[in-house]
Amino acid sequence: MKKVEAWSAEDVFDWLSKEGMPEYITVLRQTDGPALLSLTTADFKVPPLSRVSPDGGEQLLERIEILRIETHIEDHKNGHANGHIGGIPNGTSKPQRNGTLGRKDFEPEMIRIPIPTVEPPRPSFPTEWGKTGIAFIYAIICFVTTTVVISVVHERVPPKEHTPPLPDKFFDLFDRREWAFSICEINGMLLVGLWLIQWILLKHRSIIGRRFFFIVGTLYLYRCITMYITTLPVPGMHFKCSPKLLGNWEAQMRRIMKMIAGGGLSITGSHTMCGDYLYSGHTVMLTLTFLFIKEYSPRRFWCYHWFCLALSAFGIFCILLAHDHYTVDVVVAYFITTRLFWWYHTMANKQSLKETSQSNLLSRVWWYRLFQYFEENVNGTVPRNYQLPLSVRAFHWNRGVKYSRLDTQ
Amino acid sequence: MASPEPGNAGDSSTYNLSSGMEDGSVGSGPGTNKTCPVHISDEEEAKRSFRKGIARHNDYVKISVPESKVNHLPTEWWKTVIAFFYAAFNLVLTTVVITVVHERVPPKETSPPLPDKFFDYIDRVKWAFTVTEINGMVLVAIWLIQLFFFKYKSIACRRFFFLIGTLYLYRCVTMYVTTLPVPGMHMNCAPKLQGDTQAKFQRVLQLISGAGLSITNSHLLCGDFLYSGHTVMLTLTYLFIKEYSPKSFWWYHLMCWLLSAVGVLCILVAHEHYTVDVVVAYFITSRLFWWYHTMANLQTLKCSPNNYLTNTWWNPLFNFFERNVQTSVPCSYSWPITWASTCLKNPCKKYSMVQSSREE
Repeated sequence: MKKVEAWSAEDVFDWLSKEGMPEYITVLRQTDGPALLSLTTADFKVPPLSRVSPDGGEQLLERIEILRIETHIEDHKNGHANGHIGGIPNGTSKPQRNGTLGRKDFEPEMIRIPIPTVEPPRPSFPTEWGKTGIAFIYAIICFVTTTVVISVVHERVPPKEHTPPLPDKFFDLFDRREWAFSICEINGMLLVGLWLIQWILLKHRSIIGRRFFFIVGTLYLYRCITMYITTLPVPGMHFKCSPKLLGNWEAQMRRIMKMIAGGGLSITGSHTMCGDYLYSGHTVMLTLTFLFIKEYSPRRFWCYHWFCLALSAFGIFCILLAHDHYTVDVVVAYFITTRLFWWYHTMANKQSLKETSQSNLLSRVWWYRLFQYFEENVNGTVPRNYQLPLSVRAFHWNRGVKYSRLDTQ
Repeated sequence: MASPEPGNAGDSSTYNLSSGMEDGSVGSGPGTNKTCPVHISDEEEAKRSFRKGIARHNDYVKISVPESKVNHLPTEWWKTVIAFFYAAFNLVLTTVVITVVHERVPPKETSPPLPDKFFDYIDRVKWAFTVTEINGMVLVAIWLIQLFFFKYKSIACRRFFFLIGTLYLYRCVTMYVTTLPVPGMHMNCAPKLQGDTQAKFQRVLQLISGAGLSITNSHLLCGDFLYSGHTVMLTLTYLFIKEYSPKSFWWYHLMCWLLSAVGVLCILVAHEHYTVDVVVAYFITSRLFWWYHTMANLQTLKCSPNNYLTNTWWNPLFNFFERNVQTSVPCSYSWPITWASTCLKNPCKKYSMVQSSREE
């Protein structure tokens, strides 16, 4: 913009027309910039301005005042960082700024504001088996820690004669059934088997496997803590706890190995230790496998989902029916499992929750950095695609039609 | 924005020109937000010319944001009252359940205290529980004072009542299903009233009136161990105090954190609860608080399809309470009673100092 002092009569003419004051155009035809700036109210009292001005020149003078201020701001900006109105530095030139078109005159044209187009990140699901490996090791560590803690806690369980089972509402209502715990474990093994098959058939098995290992590991870690700090007595007189090995480390190690080998199930004969009541690991597995099965299978398989739900719910009911855990163990286990699963998956599905911010309070959990590490390259919700694993495909010969139905990546 | 620099210069120069206008518009009512210095209301006739002049300037672009008539943070006190009744109902339910459970607690001779890791290391200190309760009362008082000066009290109150109610409801469930024995031989449990409903009712009233504190001699009933209500109050008031106060008050947050942590530790030192009670209470309180507030703060979550945070049973209640709250609640404080400011000598000046709304 040219400074007003440098305006010619033509510029004044343009400005007057733009400002919507054509009445002055004839009179001020010969006025240039400096002359315009020097107009005062006195000038409007005498002809010729008094004849054409409707308001004694008030509006025009105001506009001129604005012009003057704008020029000051313009010059001031060229020389100083803060915009307080000061003197006009002489001879400063206006630097070009981003987005402003260089113009000579005072035309309010369209201004282009370049907004960097941020494309939404395209969904990407890199496999990253390394991270899945780390999650697997984490889960293994948590399992082993759990077994060690069970072994330690077993030494501290008060004998059932000394501390009778605690009063429990469910136990008051339902008597013990001996066959119930086997049903619970069979259901558990069925669900784990179904989940394993489903997992093998998934396309993004590395990501989903990572999630499963991480969540299972964390749940068992929490379980270590709650088991260790307070030891509940056995829930029923039917329990046969193996004798305590006070200080015999070798025997304890063997016991731990046996438990790991048997998966902690009483069907395999490795569930002989007591004290691991708050909270129930069986409930965790039943609930978690059901949640994963439901999450990563097609929506329309409602039959399958109902079947797995029935397996899971009946399994949990049988834990209580067998008087193998207190009701509070099962309730707390269900609560923690579902909350952790939903928390993790909501964070994984929404990009905005993967960054710490003031409104994202979900990021205040202790495992948030680990979660970010696992899920940083996963953009978007993992789709439910299926694909035969490589080793099976390699042996697939000449099955063109069937092959094309599955995903061929 | 075309470029940041002219914008800043323009804003500050316009601010200087219109500084008189600024104070005037701030005092226009409790519900209005701080007026943006660039966008002047049309009633300001005298300043309109300045605005037009600035607008015509090359580097200043007036991006006219349509004035939204919708209040993003409506007060809706009636919802807060509903939340209050929900909390009150759950508190009464808790006292009733405690009274019922008390009858089922095994006597400490037959069922000795369970082995607890903390109790093995730290012996009982008699006065520790008083420290806990004093800390709890101080924290609740601080929170109430903070709430009194908070600008959006109805929303914060509503959230507090809802969370307290839900936590105590969960506590009812866990207390009722399995009854833990007393954590220490020092505990004096009131005698059992088998079937005497009248006396039980009196006990409930006594518990409510004393708020369940042993300082007020209303904590005579046993059996309410899993999980610890004292931990819930200490943790929740601290979380609320921290969330609804300015981020720069680190000393204030530290002090409240110390009160809370010492209070929780003293519960264990006094052997009044098992360690698992305290751990589970802390876990449930913090998770519920963060869950609720993330859902309330991030508007995009409300409409998102893959949002599992809505799978909880209390999601309809949440939607009811937070449906019309469209932004995260800013941390702003003001005198609660408007006449207090007019009594002061220079009301506009003082008002602008106190009304420091900080958009988080």
